[in-house]
Amino acid sequence: MSNTRRVRFGRVAAAAVALMSVAGTMAACGSDSSSADGVTTIRFAWWGNDDRAAATEKAVELFEAANPDIKVETEFGDYGSYVQKLTTQVAAQAAPDVIQLDRPTFGEYAQRNVLVNLDDYVDDGTLDLSMIPDELLAGEQYEGVQYALPAGQTTQMMVYDVKAFEKIGVDPSQGWTWSEFTDAMQQLADSTGTAGFTDIGWAIDWFDTWLHQRGKSVYTPEGALGFETADLAEFWTWTNQMREDGLATPAEMTTQQDGSTTNSGLIADASSIEENYDSNLTGYVGATTEKLAAAPLPTDTPGADTSGMAALPPVYYGVPRSSQNAEAAVKLLDFLMNDPEAGAALGASRGIPPNTDIRADVCDAADEVSKMVCTYEDSVADQVGDSSTWGWPTGSSSVKADFQQIYDTVIFGQATPEAAAEQLVSNANDAIGG
Amino acid sequence: MSTTTTLRPAAGEAEQPPTADPTATPPRPRRRPQRSAYLFLLPWILGAVLLTIGPMVTSLYLSFTDYDLFSSPSWVGFDNYQRLFTEDPRFWASVRVTLTYVLVSVPLQLAIALGVALLLNRPRRGIGFYRSALYAPSLLGASISLALAWKALFSTGGTVPNLLASIGLDTGGWTDDPDLAIYAVVALTLWQFGAPMVIFLAGLKQIPRDLYEAAALDGAGKVRQFFSVTLPMLTPVLLFNLVLGIIHAFQSFTGPYVISNGRGGPGDSTLVYTLYLYQRGFTDFRMGTASAMAWLLLLAIAVVTALLFATSRRWVFYAGEEN
Repeated sequence: MSNTRRVRFGRVAAAAVALMSVAGTMAACGSDSSSADGVTTIRFAWWGNDDRAAATEKAVELFEAANPDIKVETEFGDYGSYVQKLTTQVAAQAAPDVIQLDRPTFGEYAQRNVLVNLDDYVDDGTLDLSMIPDELLAGEQYEGVQYALPAGQTTQMMVYDVKAFEKIGVDPSQGWTWSEFTDAMQQLADSTGTAGFTDIGWAIDWFDTWLHQRGKSVYTPEGALGFETADLAEFWTWTNQMREDGLATPAEMTTQQDGSTTNSGLIADASSIEENYDSNLTGYVGATTEKLAAAPLPTDTPGADTSGMAALPPVYYGVPRSSQNAEAAVKLLDFLMNDPEAGAALGASRGIPPNTDIRADVCDAADEVSKMVCTYEDSVADQVGDSSTWGWPTGSSSVKADFQQIYDTVIFGQATPEAAAEQLVSNANDAIGG
Repeated sequence: MSTTTTLRPAAGEAEQPPTADPTATPPRPRRRPQRSAYLFLLPWILGAVLLTIGPMVTSLYLSFTDYDLFSSPSWVGFDNYQRLFTEDPRFWASVRVTLTYVLVSVPLQLAIALGVALLLNRPRRGIGFYRSALYAPSLLGASISLALAWKALFSTGGTVPNLLASIGLDTGGWTDDPDLAIYAVVALTLWQFGAPMVIFLAGLKQIPRDLYEAAALDGAGKVRQFFSVTLPMLTPVLLFNLVLGIIHAFQSFTGPYVISNGRGGPGDSTLVYTLYLYQRGFTDFRMGTASAMAWLLLLAIAVVTALLFATSRRWVFYAGEEN
């Protein structure tokens, strides 16, 4: 008996030693938060293309030069893998110290109390937000607390093929009504032989602009649905009719839309105009040889709160509560927000700069394409509402995906707009309810 | 695989096919296991416990909870399972898509693999090159780049729809059509017939030549020889390939994921089971539901495999038993 026990103990000891050595190796691989020489290391993670990466690395180098006691390790990837990795890291309390978020992930994390309260750092002077417009800051608050910062500013736009519009003698750049829009789509369809515009029924983002023109929104500030089944049924009936009339893109094209220029109906020459955020304008211009321009959304109700346009951050920066170096992380944020050189390095890689001083400088020095974004933002400045009614709660990423999948069933003739709207509302209530 | 001619008759029923049998265990030594043996095994044991068994037990537990990754799991009993069965139309959609995929892709893939194996079984110059070339697509396996290329080939304006249109078959883009999208995925699978082909080839080499000589003397033609000699002698290998193929097909993920941009669209037409499982877990943060789906899949695969083995007594012919 005692003999077996000794044998067992021996095995357990061997296993324990091996485990410990494995654990030791793993600990050595993890980043030490502060080493003996007093240098703090923080991790900064984002997603985006190579342009954004180059601009960000440059701004980070400037920060390291100005703060020799802080070292920044950067991680970046494409959106899909980034979100997946971040989700797991957040669940394991091992997220990077500065993270880039989008609307659904921000809503998710703010509501789940994952992010540091940034107001504390404004109070103690580490973070200066005085040069960032209030309407832009409003979107990163939850229950009155600033949980994230805008990495830039973007606004909805209609990006269009200038030549096609010149041909039909329409200039939408100074604003237009819905009936002018529909007439133009008919003329475009007649003159080009393809659809006038890329169907907007696939994206809950564009449904949100449609709702805002009617004094509603997809989500209420409390995180419930802000519209009725009938609203969505009306929206989808309209988009579906537009498709059947040949004014909006066919189902095979619409189903590919994901907001990227790679899959854009406009870039594929399947339409002459489509809705997107103006932070993508440079991407559009780079993707085609046709001359493009930005126009405001058609509206029958002009005005900052009813135009369907808002000052939105294309992406957000936040600091997870699990961070051991929140102070240093916030310092980096303050630098990215307020340092003129960092602002110049970042340029318009995440929309136009959030800091209005830097925005003016960057726009002055910008190349022709970035200037298009500045000019457009200037031209719609009095039509742009604040971002507080555009927040997305927990579960909204699932609703966004569901929205597109259910609209597919409408355009492929598998469901009526009414039945589809009912399905979406029922699924959405389930998803955001918990 | 050439060593299998010396295979011992399996104890009781010959449940394992005579080729490619990784589970055949040598007689266990009676000596007391040495501690050093365990030390050498330690990396594997640690991996198995920490990376396989541990997560499996955890996921079984999670399947009975409501768990969103951020807050701690709360026990809900069989709620996840019940809701999948009674309240979730997309769950049933994913089951339909997966069954269609399995029923279409597995038989076709095996037929192609067998056909190519028969061609490659004949001695001719450069046979080694042909075998390698035809096996190559399987080495690429479930790679992302391959699925991306596939998407480009089959989407609107892609090579395949254009070629078909030029011969008067205007199908439109396969990946953008809910009726055709799953067949773009099936085509991707069919192309990767290398693994079953190699196993068939090994099986074909096992068939004694004298059987063909005897059949030829009795006046059997090539076709008759195939159905009366080749196919019966090949049934153990066929069973093996069928089981592996079905298990593999049930778990298919990368192709549908990449081809549909992770959406399973258009209109849920490529929403295979594992893709929906993934969406429930990582888009909807319903890890409890996702875990329940994983265990249902394991159960379904176990049942299908058991059924196959049960029916195999009727149609699988083991030459070893007769000798």
